[in-house]
Amino acid sequence: MSLSNTIYSTIFKRNSVYVASVFTAAFAFGIGFDSGVTTFWDSWNKGKQWKDIRDKYVQNDEE
Amino acid sequence: MASFQAVKKSLNLAPTVRTLPSGVPAAPLLNLAARAPADHHGHGHSSGPRVDAPPSWAGGVSKSHFGLFTKTFTTAPASKPFQQRLLHTSAVVKDAPDVPDYSQYRVKSADNSRALSYVMVGTMGVLSASVAKSSVSEFLQTMAASADVLALAKVEVDISAIPEGKNVIIKWRGKPVFIRHRTQAEIDEARSANWKTFRDPESDEARTKKPEWLVMLGVCTHLGCVPIGEAGDFGGWFCPCHGSHYDISGRARKGPAPLNLEVPAHDFNDAEGKLVIG
Repeated sequence: MSLSNTIYSTIFKRNSVYVASVFTAAFAFGIGFDSGVTTFWDSWNKGKQWKDIRDKYVQNDEE
Repeated sequence: MASFQAVKKSLNLAPTVRTLPSGVPAAPLLNLAARAPADHHGHGHSSGPRVDAPPSWAGGVSKSHFGLFTKTFTTAPASKPFQQRLLHTSAVVKDAPDVPDYSQYRVKSADNSRALSYVMVGTMGVLSASVAKSSVSEFLQTMAASADVLALAKVEVDISAIPEGKNVIIKWRGKPVFIRHRTQAEIDEARSANWKTFRDPESDEARTKKPEWLVMLGVCTHLGCVPIGEAGDFGGWFCPCHGSHYDISGRARKGPAPLNLEVPAHDFNDAEGKLVIG
């Protein structure tokens, strides 16, 4: 049995499994997309954000 | 004019390049109606076979008993051994020549294309579900409190610095909040009162989380003045605007106030000795 047949019979054959896997994939995609964009944002703005430069200012306070 | 034609001929393309709409090659300077001379090799030289005469196998005139006999082979017999020409430009013979050949477009494997179709539909579903989910959640986030509001929503008070029998007034969400560290006598007084006969019946146990700490909004329930502490007929608060009296539990006892002083949501942080309002 080929790979496409295996995929068809496990995921696509039953509509309930199909819809459930679509929603699961959407959930995972949302999380992955958010974290990916956040990672890209942090790397793009490296050294500009407060969490990057916090050490320069807070170390003197020693709260 | 002749020189002009020569120049034109030398500059232009070859005369037979252009084609008329009917498909006939257009050769304007070529006289296609010209005929070969009638004596078709009559220019003098004599001996030897005529070069331009057709060979005998192509037909010709022969003498027979019935007269002159002319025979022309439309297809000349092969003059040398037959050779199969494998490279040719003629059309391939097919079963049904009118039907185009779709074999290039047929899928190789039906299973693969079925799985691919479902994958494409599912990917569309995944993307649209993500878009719908993020639209809804972004819309709901517009109703949530912003960070500056949330930062002001809670107030921490260090209650270890408040001595027994003293009032402290702090500001919380733009309103005054009374914090009373009550003495044991005040607690007994507040709890022994027959609260069921009051205008807004409420027990002292329901109003306080710890009996010695009374936390209330310092806004008179009548018209919103700020009552004065440790005043009034009941030893609690007194509103100077219209003369409402509150007891030591902040309950309305006399005057126009319809309700008890409001108790905000608060919590005690015993580890750090702090009161968190909000």
